[in-house]
Amino acid sequence: MIRNYFKIAWRNIRANKLFTVLNIAGLAIGICVCIILFSFVNTELSFDKMYSNSDDIYRVNMETSEEYNFETWATMPNAVGPALEQDIPQIKRMARLIKDDFGATASLKIGDKNFTENNLYLADSSVFKMFDFEFLQGNVETAFSKPKSVVLSQTTKKRLFGNQEAMGQLITVNNHDTLEVSGIYADLPKISVMDFNMVYNIMDSWMGTNVYWSNASYETFVQLEPNANIPEIENQASALIDKYVDKEDQYFTKFLLQPLTKIHLYSAEVREGYSTKLGSITTIKSLLFLSLLVLFIACINYMNLATANSRKRAKSIGMNKVLGASRRHMLSLFYVETGIMVFLSIVIGYAISFLILPLFRSITGNELGYQDLLAAPILIGLLIIWILVTLIAGSYPAISMSSISPLILVNKSKTKGAASELVRKGLVVFQFAASIVLIIAVTVILQQMSFIKNKNLGYDPSGIVAVSVSSAETGQQIQSLIKSLERQVAVESVSAVQSMPGANESGRAVLKLATDNTGMPIASCRTDGNIVQTLKLNVLAGTELPETITEGDSIIYTLINEKILNYLGYQTPDEAIGKIIHTELGPRALITGVVENFNFNSLKEDIGGYMYYKSRRAPEGIRTLLVRYNSQNLSQFMEQLQSTFNEALPNTAFDYQFLDRHVAQLYASEERTARTATIFSALAIFIACLGLFGLAAFTAEQRRKEIGVRKVLGATVTGITQLLSKDFLKLVLVAFVIAAPVAYWLMHKWLLDFAYRTEITWWVFVFAGLAALLIALLTVSFQAIKAAVANPVKSLRTE
Amino acid sequence: MLLELNNIFKWVNQGGKRIFLLSDLNFNVEEGEFISIMGPSGSGKSTLLNVIGMLDGFQEGEYNFLNQPVHAMKDKERSKLYKEYIGFVFQAYHLIDELTVYENIETPLLYKNIKSSERKALVADMLDRFNIVGKKDLFPSQLSGGQQQLVGISRALITKPKLILADEPTGNLNSKQSEEIMQLFKELNQEGVTIIQATHSESNAAYGSRILHLLDGRRNPH
Repeated sequence: MIRNYFKIAWRNIRANKLFTVLNIAGLAIGICVCIILFSFVNTELSFDKMYSNSDDIYRVNMETSEEYNFETWATMPNAVGPALEQDIPQIKRMARLIKDDFGATASLKIGDKNFTENNLYLADSSVFKMFDFEFLQGNVETAFSKPKSVVLSQTTKKRLFGNQEAMGQLITVNNHDTLEVSGIYADLPKISVMDFNMVYNIMDSWMGTNVYWSNASYETFVQLEPNANIPEIENQASALIDKYVDKEDQYFTKFLLQPLTKIHLYSAEVREGYSTKLGSITTIKSLLFLSLLVLFIACINYMNLATANSRKRAKSIGMNKVLGASRRHMLSLFYVETGIMVFLSIVIGYAISFLILPLFRSITGNELGYQDLLAAPILIGLLIIWILVTLIAGSYPAISMSSISPLILVNKSKTKGAASELVRKGLVVFQFAASIVLIIAVTVILQQMSFIKNKNLGYDPSGIVAVSVSSAETGQQIQSLIKSLERQVAVESVSAVQSMPGANESGRAVLKLATDNTGMPIASCRTDGNIVQTLKLNVLAGTELPETITEGDSIIYTLINEKILNYLGYQTPDEAIGKIIHTELGPRALITGVVENFNFNSLKEDIGGYMYYKSRRAPEGIRTLLVRYNSQNLSQFMEQLQSTFNEALPNTAFDYQFLDRHVAQLYASEERTARTATIFSALAIFIACLGLFGLAAFTAEQRRKEIGVRKVLGATVTGITQLLSKDFLKLVLVAFVIAAPVAYWLMHKWLLDFAYRTEITWWVFVFAGLAALLIALLTVSFQAIKAAVANPVKSLRTE
Repeated sequence: MLLELNNIFKWVNQGGKRIFLLSDLNFNVEEGEFISIMGPSGSGKSTLLNVIGMLDGFQEGEYNFLNQPVHAMKDKERSKLYKEYIGFVFQAYHLIDELTVYENIETPLLYKNIKSSERKALVADMLDRFNIVGKKDLFPSQLSGGQQQLVGISRALITKPKLILADEPTGNLNSKQSEEIMQLFKELNQEGVTIIQATHSESNAAYGSRILHLLDGRRNPH
């Protein structure tokens, strides 16, 4: 019996080439998309599960007070870790970590070679045991036994030393610390947020030994005893705040434990963490949703085409029933047929997914490998897809067709045409509605991206290269670098600053009056001047910061933005010039200029208070030179810049970033969303078109006789083409009416993420509607014209 | 008695009016009879065959098949009954296009869950008997009309039904093929199979032992 089902099903599949090709193409594309995304999701979900202590490791996060908008931070004072370990018995060990120089790129010097390194960590030696470090040279015990030791990952060792012996070699970091290599460890797993390339002992630095409860810069991980009680530990930990910190100094209120395995995906609301390997659970959810949508659209194709085909099949179903088949027999037959079809699609889709994996990688910037496609969960997923798609896609045709009565054989019986017709139309409407929503979404996303790119930020980030000088040996070196840069023709201006806009400013407060206790939190950035000219800020009143400050002058000269001006309560910018204000920097700060608000942060955020200052006794150092250049030949200019740099700072690695690329980087995830959405909508539309194409073919086939009669009666080719196309176009219109409000609502919500956003204009809807209509028309009219030009004698004779 | 129809009424509603397809029909069939139903197009020949074959229902009257009340049965019981006792032969043959001759004949046995070895024997007998062994791997589209109808009849006979219902079995055939098929029916009848055929042709009707004339869904007594 079963063999017979397979036989009949297989012959049916082969007999109906168009039907089969359309179905398999649609399903294979849908399945291919699912496979790739499932692999992606699968790797995202397996982050950090491989450590032997994975289930017991937590990151301590802290909830800040109102002053910092109750934000959750991943970094905290270095006193927290030791206090937790000492006071809470359920904590087995803790490790604090901090990136060298608070995350700035480190400059390494080995012999006479300079390197840059972004993932140089200072950490407690307990990290080795906590995260299963596997030492290839040296071992856990000896790693930090000598002061000023550093351990390297295997890859980093290769990069710095090549094939030469690294153990015992000296590395000078930022021209102030010289460390000795005391161990080489196997690279940590790729799917881990832990991204140490080099680790040195935090206890060799004041950062480890000089514990305090103020500056929050340290990530703190704890390993708990097995089966520890999390809420209890959180309460105990939070209680330590009152124990160790004076009430008025408490700017954080609570400690929270975040499981290690959740850091990768669930850290969107957690600020200040060091790892760059973060994903987002929302992205995963929306990708899953989109891939299932595409697959569902492909399923709908199958249902549509199969039922459209039912008239042809009706006779054989009726006959089988006369010969003794029950409804169950017929159900099985259809499911077997669907099963075979889906199986073929899976095989093809799986094969394609290997072919297009490189494409996927380049589009998403993801590191998915071939072995990820072979992972066990994926293979199980394929099995589940097979069963589910067979059941879903096969359901409607199987159920509707197995109920065909044997009477079909004797009367030229009416199949239950009306009902199945309606379902079919409903399915087409759904497909097109989904496609139109995607078209609108893509258009709005692209509009927003171009809005962002073209928005006047209040300063001009293009044509500026930011050169890191944080590892300069002396201030003298920086001064001479600035001098020689300013002499170059291609350099318009140079400004020495603490940070590029939005990267590494210091959080401070400005105070209205002496009585103002909280003040306004602002970002302050040290500069040595030239900032207005270099960034092209718009000065509303006053002047640039003074070029030089005489010896003994203790005044802090400041340049504030309108936000601060408004907070301080001045009516006009001019009124503020020359006024003394209170900042946390010191009591005597003088306003020399007011600039228009500029978007130093991403456009997702509103502009906050921002202050540039210059002072002889600035607490922050100069870390970056902003160089505005004007050169036709960029590569030549960069070469020149590098050689100038090497002359002035011979022992420091040349590390630079273009400011406009840094700004673009802020929208990298939106950029990816845009690309992904574009691809998905293209696929969805393509699959929907496959279905529509097939459906049009069947309709034309069904109405062959009618078309023949009409032609004999004098209908023109145009008339018949219109007749056949009209019905489908109506469906697209209905789909549009459904899709438009859904799309509006979705995109309105998406845009709310941006403080600065484009309008959703009416023409987006017109565009999407026309696009869908045009695509549908092209698809359908091919079949319609084919039917219309056919010789009517043929179609009438065969009846 | 094989079957009896008592006061059968069947109608459809069209434009608010009742149109009678069968009207007060009484009809008995004994086992071993060969009956021809005659009448002009639209007289209700096919409808009557469908009612007898239990493919179609009726609104009023009684239908007893082997002394079982068909009119009181549920769909499932009814289809069980006809699958057991009735074989159908159609004017348009209605072979399953996707199956070979062999498989077409075998299909009813599959649905009766008959074992593979037994199926082979039964089908082989049938192919032998109708001299179509050489055609067993061909598909219906590769056969002539007469050959297709032979396969149709073999398929109807394979489950050894008591009754064969044939709706214009030679309607699509030429006169020579027609004659062969009718001769075959006659032989089958002599072996004990009851046959009811609907036909337009006087000569075909003459093969039967009895003729039922229909007009507008009633017996035409002329």
